Amino acid sequence: MTKVKMVRNVLEKNDKLAEQIREMGDNSKTVLFNMMGTPGAGKTTLLESIIPALKEDYKMGVVEGDVATANDADRIAALDVATAQVNTDRFGGTCHLGSEMVKPALEKINYDQLDIVIIENIGNLICPAHFDIGAHYNIAVVSITEGVDKPAKYPLMFRNSKLAILNKIDLLEHLNIDIEEMVAGIKQINPDIDILKMSALQPNDGIALNKWIKKRGRRK
Amino acid sequence: MHELTIAQNIISIIEDELQQRNKLACQVNKVYFNTGRLNAVVPESLQYNFNQIKKERKFTQNAELIIKEIPITIKCEDCQAETQIDEPVFKCQNCSSRQIKVIAGKKMYIESMDIE
Ligand SMILES: Nc1nc2c(ncn2[C@@H]2O[C@H](COP(=O)(O)OP(=O)(O)O)[C@@H](O)[C@H]2O)c(=O)[nH]1
Ligand SMILES: [Mg+2]
Ligand SMILES: [Zn+2]
Repeated sequence: MTKVKMVRNVLEKNDKLAEQIREMGDNSKTVLFNMMGTPGAGKTTLLESIIPALKEDYKMGVVEGDVATANDADRIAALDVATAQVNTDRFGGTCHLGSEMVKPALEKINYDQLDIVIIENIGNLICPAHFDIGAHYNIAVVSITEGVDKPAKYPLMFRNSKLAILNKIDLLEHLNIDIEEMVAGIKQINPDIDILKMSALQPNDGIALNKWIKKRGRRK
Repeated sequence: MHELTIAQNIISIIEDELQQRNKLACQVNKVYFNTGRLNAVVPESLQYNFNQIKKERKFTQNAELIIKEIPITIKCEDCQAETQIDEPVFKCQNCSSRQIKVIAGKKMYIESMDIE
């Protein structure tokens, strides 16, 4: 028997390509956002609510990750922004986007001509957090209907994000929950994270999210 | 679950290592895999996925995957203590400061393998 020592990162391929994607974005001054969250948390609805105003100021693109359908991509394309769809069933139906899926999608929408690209990851609180896809900023979206202890159960997503969106705040009056407990839970995981409590259905709430994104976007 | 992706990656790294040594005809007996707790890999699920796909390759058909979980260790920037956390509450176990750095428990890697 021979012992072969190596110490090799199991995600090395993904991580290397992610670094390349981030550099591509740096070179073309394109800022990439990775929006993650549970299925149904409201990611696509949030995009629908902020894109009309964002695209006034920035050249925008969206990459839509989904296991099989193009429904979300169709909703975004209807807003007249560059949209690419990634269906992971071609990649074995995985529950997260990987760099090898994101790179061709970015190329397809000519990301280098764009100022901001938002990538909607596959609806899942666990897996996407483990795969760097080369974004400059990660955003975690949860809906307050999912229970205040959700963040504590999925710490990595909040640990790796710069912004947490607590969505569907319009439903608060119907729920018997303490939203501040949810905020505290997230701050315990990541004290530096920004938190926005909002409703994707309230156009006014979108203003704060737009501001957050604009602060990080660069116009060519 | 991303355990399938991880299992696939483990097998391609093994293949790459064997290829580099011109040892693709060898049999891998044991693979030592370490994963930080922060990765939230479910060992049973990884084990299951690995066993499902290992038969696709001759060199891993009898391979046993040995998974070691590495606890999350944090270092406090205030009191400098290095402590371990069992829950996703990122504060110093010594002085409760939140100014901490995770110094272990993030990585996921193959450490070694036994071949013959
Ligand atoms: N009440 C309420 N419903 C919302 C809100 N945001 C999204 N929804 C609804 O939640 C459902 C899932 O939204 P969607 O954007 O498709 O979620 P995604 O899977 O995260 O992209 C849809 O029926 C939306 O209309 C919100 O802020 N408040
Ligand atoms: Mg969606
Ligand atoms: Zn301390």
